[in-house]
Amino acid sequence: MASKSTPRPLPGQHQLSREFIAQHQRARIVNALALEVSEKGYRNVTVADIVKRAGIARNTFYGNFGSKEDCFLAAQQFAMSAALGRVVEAAGEIDDWPYRVEAGLAAFLHFVAEEPALARTCMVDALAAAPTSVRYYEESLQSFVSLFRLGRDVSPHGGKLPETIEEALIGGVFWIIYQRLLEEQPERIEELLPELVEFTLTPYLGADRARVVAVEGDGASAASGSRG
Amino acid sequence: MSEPVNPSVDSPEYPPELARLPPGRHGLPREFVARNQRERLIAGLAEAVAEQGYAGTTIAHITRHAAVSRRTFYEHFSSKDECFVAAYDTVMAELRRRVDDAFNQEDEWPQAVRAGIGAMLEFLTAEPHLARLSMVEALVAGPVVVERYDAAIQGLVPYFEAGRKGRPAEVLAGLSPSTEEALVGGMVSLISRRVFADRTEELESLLPDLTEFALTPYLGSAEAAKVARQG
Repeated sequence: MASKSTPRPLPGQHQLSREFIAQHQRARIVNALALEVSEKGYRNVTVADIVKRAGIARNTFYGNFGSKEDCFLAAQQFAMSAALGRVVEAAGEIDDWPYRVEAGLAAFLHFVAEEPALARTCMVDALAAAPTSVRYYEESLQSFVSLFRLGRDVSPHGGKLPETIEEALIGGVFWIIYQRLLEEQPERIEELLPELVEFTLTPYLGADRARVVAVEGDGASAASGSRG
Repeated sequence: MSEPVNPSVDSPEYPPELARLPPGRHGLPREFVARNQRERLIAGLAEAVAEQGYAGTTIAHITRHAAVSRRTFYEHFSSKDECFVAAYDTVMAELRRRVDDAFNQEDEWPQAVRAGIGAMLEFLTAEPHLARLSMVEALVAGPVVVERYDAAIQGLVPYFEAGRKGRPAEVLAGLSPSTEEALVGGMVSLISRRVFADRTEELESLLPDLTEFALTPYLGSAEAAKVARQG
């Protein structure tokens, strides 16, 4: 841990530990990349652009990341874990599965509307960046599968549903959100909630019951027990 | 396990560019002579991308596979990107033609959906390199191709919208405007994940699942499952 030669302190950051500075630099670089990519597209962004935007030395960039691709993956992972965190927090509060799905979807849409740049990184740019980022995108879809799969227990025909139904439903939800992000209408994202609730619940509960849940209102009212 | 029957190399079913494309399970012979340089270049790009990935492919790789000079390449295309776009368009046009043919051969819409999905899966299974080119490499091949990719997927929406026709009012009331978009997005996601993982051979077994998924909003689970599982 202790190094013999004292590191030269950065201006104005004398009291901060090396670890803190390193962490902070990482976050600043990742943020600079996300901004550059959203303006120019992944392919047109160079390490020089990122370095300039972050206000750091080129050596510092390579001290944190092996490549532009590495740096993009870090940004994508940060954005996706932030989104998943919101979903887990909102859905975890609710026992009744259909309303749990609704709350999870509401939290996800809210995240996208609130953080369109981060959402864009993990849902739009990720698909056009590099094979590793596409792979991570695909894997992150899987994180949502377990939430939906619980629906088989409450479905009258849960045992007969296709094995891949959850994957397909989540792929559909992501695609719709991706299209709205491409259209640059993040403010309209949250309006999608009723249709996405209905779309995802229909295979489990049938269209009629799915519609009832979808039109009943948001996850918050369900959570406070004000429905019915 | 029996090998699927594929059209022979000189079958009129294959446009010349595709007939030159890299051998998949059908084992198209490499000595098949393409009719013109542009076709050879498109085929050369598909071979190179199958070997190197899009990012790793250079113009030298393409011209080597196509057996043409660098100068010839630039007579037809200004860049690797432009050549990729041409290859992508060729593959998608062929895929769409097959889906259309299969879809239009059926009188009933649910069966037509099943046939269309079947045709798509059959093509992608028989041509794993082209599946990869059109569903994986296309996404990293630059904004022009990504835009075309998005348009190609949205282009599948009308096949499903056709299912609204003649449906009872209470079913129609339950279909949101984005139902079809969500269906095609979900199906493509399922397919591309397998292509990405080099599990193209699993694609044909997805036919019942994808059919049931696509028909459920229109027919309900029980009826959708029935159509999906019929031989």
